[in-house]
Amino acid sequence: MEILRVENLSKVYGAGEARVEALKQVSFTMERGEFGAVVGVSGSGKSTLLNCIGGLDFADQGKVFLSGRDLFAMGENERTVFRRQNIGFIFQSFHLIQELDVEQNIMFPLLLDYKKPDQERVDEILEVLGLKNRRKHLPGQLSGGQQQRVAIGRALITHPALVLADEPTGNLDSQSSQDVMELLCKASRHYQQTVLMITHNMNLTASADRVFQVSDGKLSELGGVCK
Amino acid sequence: MKHYLDLIKISAKQHRKQNRMTRLCIVLAVFLVTVIFGMADMEMRSQYIQAVKTDGGWHAAFVMDEEQGALLGERPEVKEIARYGALNYNLEGGYQIKGVETGICGFDKEFQEMLPDAEILEGTFPETAGEIALNENAMDRLGMQIGGKVSMTTPQGDARQYQITGIAKNTALTAELDAFCVFLNTDGFLALSPEGTGAAREMLYYVEFRKFCNIQKAIGEIRTQFELEDAQVRQNTKVLMLMLQTRDSYLLSFYLLAGILAVLVMIAGIFMITASMNSSIARRTEFFGMMRCLGATGKQVVRFVRKEALSWCKEAIPAGVAAGVAVTWALCGMLRFLSPGLFDGLPVLGISWLGAAAGILMGLVTVLLAARSPAKRAGAVSPLTAVSGNAGTVHAAKRAAHTRLFKVDMALGIHHASGSKKNFFLVAGSFAFSIVLFLSFGTLIDFMHHAVTPLRASAPDIAVNVGSEEMNRIPAEFAEDLEEYPGVKRIFRKGYAYLTMPADGKDVVLISYDERQLRMAEDTMVEGKLSEVLDGKGVFSVFLEERTLACGSNILVTAGGKERKIHVSGIIESVPDVLNPSVDTLICSEKMFRELTGEKGFASLDIQLEKDVTDTQVQEIRKAVGQVCGEDYDFSDKRMRNQEVRGAYFSMSVFLYGFLAVIALIAFFNIINCIGMSVSARMREYGAMRAIGMSVGQLIRMVTGETLTYTVFGVIFGYLAGLPLNRFMFRTLVTNRWGEAWSLPGWEMVVIVFVMLASVCLAVLNPARQIKRMTVVETISRE
Ligand SMILES: Nc1ncnc2c1ncn2[C@@H]1O[C@H](COP(=O)(O)OP(=O)(O)OP(=O)(O)O)[C@@H](O)[C@H]1O
Ligand SMILES: [Mg+2]
Repeated sequence: MEILRVENLSKVYGAGEARVEALKQVSFTMERGEFGAVVGVSGSGKSTLLNCIGGLDFADQGKVFLSGRDLFAMGENERTVFRRQNIGFIFQSFHLIQELDVEQNIMFPLLLDYKKPDQERVDEILEVLGLKNRRKHLPGQLSGGQQQRVAIGRALITHPALVLADEPTGNLDSQSSQDVMELLCKASRHYQQTVLMITHNMNLTASADRVFQVSDGKLSELGGVCK
Repeated sequence: MKHYLDLIKISAKQHRKQNRMTRLCIVLAVFLVTVIFGMADMEMRSQYIQAVKTDGGWHAAFVMDEEQGALLGERPEVKEIARYGALNYNLEGGYQIKGVETGICGFDKEFQEMLPDAEILEGTFPETAGEIALNENAMDRLGMQIGGKVSMTTPQGDARQYQITGIAKNTALTAELDAFCVFLNTDGFLALSPEGTGAAREMLYYVEFRKFCNIQKAIGEIRTQFELEDAQVRQNTKVLMLMLQTRDSYLLSFYLLAGILAVLVMIAGIFMITASMNSSIARRTEFFGMMRCLGATGKQVVRFVRKEALSWCKEAIPAGVAAGVAVTWALCGMLRFLSPGLFDGLPVLGISWLGAAAGILMGLVTVLLAARSPAKRAGAVSPLTAVSGNAGTVHAAKRAAHTRLFKVDMALGIHHASGSKKNFFLVAGSFAFSIVLFLSFGTLIDFMHHAVTPLRASAPDIAVNVGSEEMNRIPAEFAEDLEEYPGVKRIFRKGYAYLTMPADGKDVVLISYDERQLRMAEDTMVEGKLSEVLDGKGVFSVFLEERTLACGSNILVTAGGKERKIHVSGIIESVPDVLNPSVDTLICSEKMFRELTGEKGFASLDIQLEKDVTDTQVQEIRKAVGQVCGEDYDFSDKRMRNQEVRGAYFSMSVFLYGFLAVIALIAFFNIINCIGMSVSARMREYGAMRAIGMSVGQLIRMVTGETLTYTVFGVIFGYLAGLPLNRFMFRTLVTNRWGEAWSLPGWEMVVIVFVMLASVCLAVLNPARQIKRMTVVETISRE
């Protein structure tokens, strides 16, 4: 089943001398449960692509369909709600909420919907993340790897159809990176979620179903290695 | 870039927007101080102008003979000197024109410049001893013309002929006494005074001193030079006081008030600037860490921060002073507009140098004091923070928010407010501070209402009082008829009677009020019931400082030969109708008055006139009153006096209400500033929340939650601390002197909370706009 469809996405920053074509006519689709990795040199436009797909940023041209819904056709509020229910974000620098403890951070997207979080689900995620004995800790009291795991938990709690991760391992050592990769693989294999991840580390692309390369704003697909 | 401090300029360019808040705080503090002192200054000036208008521009007067006067005129500090003498000021001395007692003033022409009352309205000042100027009153009533002749009889029995050269202005006093008054020149005056007495040649020498001379010292020297007694020296106290030439407490208390308020503003300013600098420093922790990494010492960082703060002053202080001056202008303009005639002399575009200087000084001191703790904080940043990467989060949380009790957005908002105890108390405390200020300064308004009596609603423009022989001889019908006269708005009639208390033989004065007056009196009722008085079952007793007939007591009086019991139903504050403050005064209804005394008429009419009343209409009224009251009555025109009272009250009100407005303004800006700062410090966090899926509405609710938490606790703290203070001040200022009991300062409480709520709404508005405009991508990737 097709989850994500990107059509002719283009984005230009600046004008004149400072003009940068960050994205040039990018098109691709992803199926449910697929794990995609995006590679490319710095400044090639990876983050821009991911932000556009996630509805954080706007493209100049082109469309993004998620579960058949046109992201850019929605109103601001509608898109926000749609995003928090259907897309999970993971950032390089975690962006946890300092005032909330581990458990609350993970439940946060549900709380935003004023839903009563399902405690079993939260426990399950904490278990998977290996943070069960850290649930009452504040972000300031966690290591970088642990914080990123919390961020992943937060991205997964709503069962989003699509998980977007921008260099989730950029700030982590190799062991923590491995943990994160395992969690993301699990998300796509076990929970059938579509994952799109940016990485600089070619080794990490090994666990991906598909590998995209962005160079100079253009997207091309490399032969993925399937396990 | 030649010096490390040059970095300030470069960094200022980058952080212009973030520092805007701090600069705004400085502008505000300077602005407020400038306005406060500017207003105090303007108030002084307008009081001075009024004082000169009523009392004249002379500084001192000496009783001396001609020889001494000539010597005095040669003293270097004397700018202007003029002779003045008066005869028959008590109107009993036997100087009469057509049988009417006449006051006589003789003076040099120059005297007119020193005393506005000595003004000639039409014609000229008498040049020779045979010329005279009559006041309006006399001209009108005698039907005289300029150029005509008039004869005045002296107590010695001779009649002197004068030629009329001009019309003298009715002074407030002569209008009130309804008297004849004439002006002579000094020669004419001296020729008139009784011969033979040594005192005849002695006159009052009015002196105006030169600018910038120490008047008290000069007066002292003159006294020793001419060996003058106390009684021979007069000073224009009010004018000298307003020139700061006497050490009078009234004026000093005015500037003291301004000073206190300025210090309070300064404290508030320090609060605000410190807070905003703290947050700006927290945001730049990494930057300071980096500086330390690169080898800057802690001291250098401290200097950096302090220098940076001073660099903001360069723009902020002039801006604050300019704004303050502009507002002072606006206030002066308003005074002139609202009460022309009274404040004509106020400079529209006058600059209060005192205000500007105070603003600049206070601004600098405030900034230096405010920069101390943030500078220390910046200096203490360890180089490690730059590399550890955990910088940039402004408030490291110590405990988690309660997401169970409230919805998550509210919970986070509340947590943002209360998360850090220190920050919470600082902000809520600063909110409370403005409430405390407002509540305690609010008592000054009550004080003013009592001390500077405004014109009471019942204050007459013309007061008619009949003489004491047959007191209540104005018939009720006449009072009603007179109310229909053109130009008359309404009339309050009063009967007076003396009763004795057989218990101790003391007198009491009984005054009758009509229903309107009784209802008006209720406003100043200290305790008791109006209804009983209205029904004629009881009386009001007027509050006396030493002893007052207690409310609820019964007193025995002798009235009309019989002993009667009177019930005291209430106590009211002092009224102007009290004839003698040492005698108990009772006020009753007309019905009761008739029952007790048997009198049907009235002794006094308080006439209020329409605004557009003409002089002829007033003359008509006088004629009618004269026909009814016969010979022995006072017709006292109080319009000019009233105008003066109104003016004094008015400028005082502008000043005091202005103070309150300033306090409200502090509250307002403080709230806006605090919230704006808190939001801009968390912008990055908000961006992350938006990325996760928080909607704009939820974010705004979160900010509102935070703001409300501060406000609710600020209001509670403010009331807790402010009300006892309010009570204390009210008791010392008002209750002790006028007897009015303290009650909850309702309007103050409502107004300040209203101001705070309005500020909260506005405070959330701007961050809301910022949040709406915020692009998620930029906010989270900014570093
Ligand atoms: N706000 C912006 N204004 C102007 N140009 C921008 C902006 N954001 C990104 N760019 C430009 O767009 C191009 C793509 O940026 P992008 O952040 O997508 O790169 P990236 O592939 O994620 O790089 P990295 O691997 O270093 O994160 C870059 O050349 C960058 O200079
Ligand atoms: Mg990137």
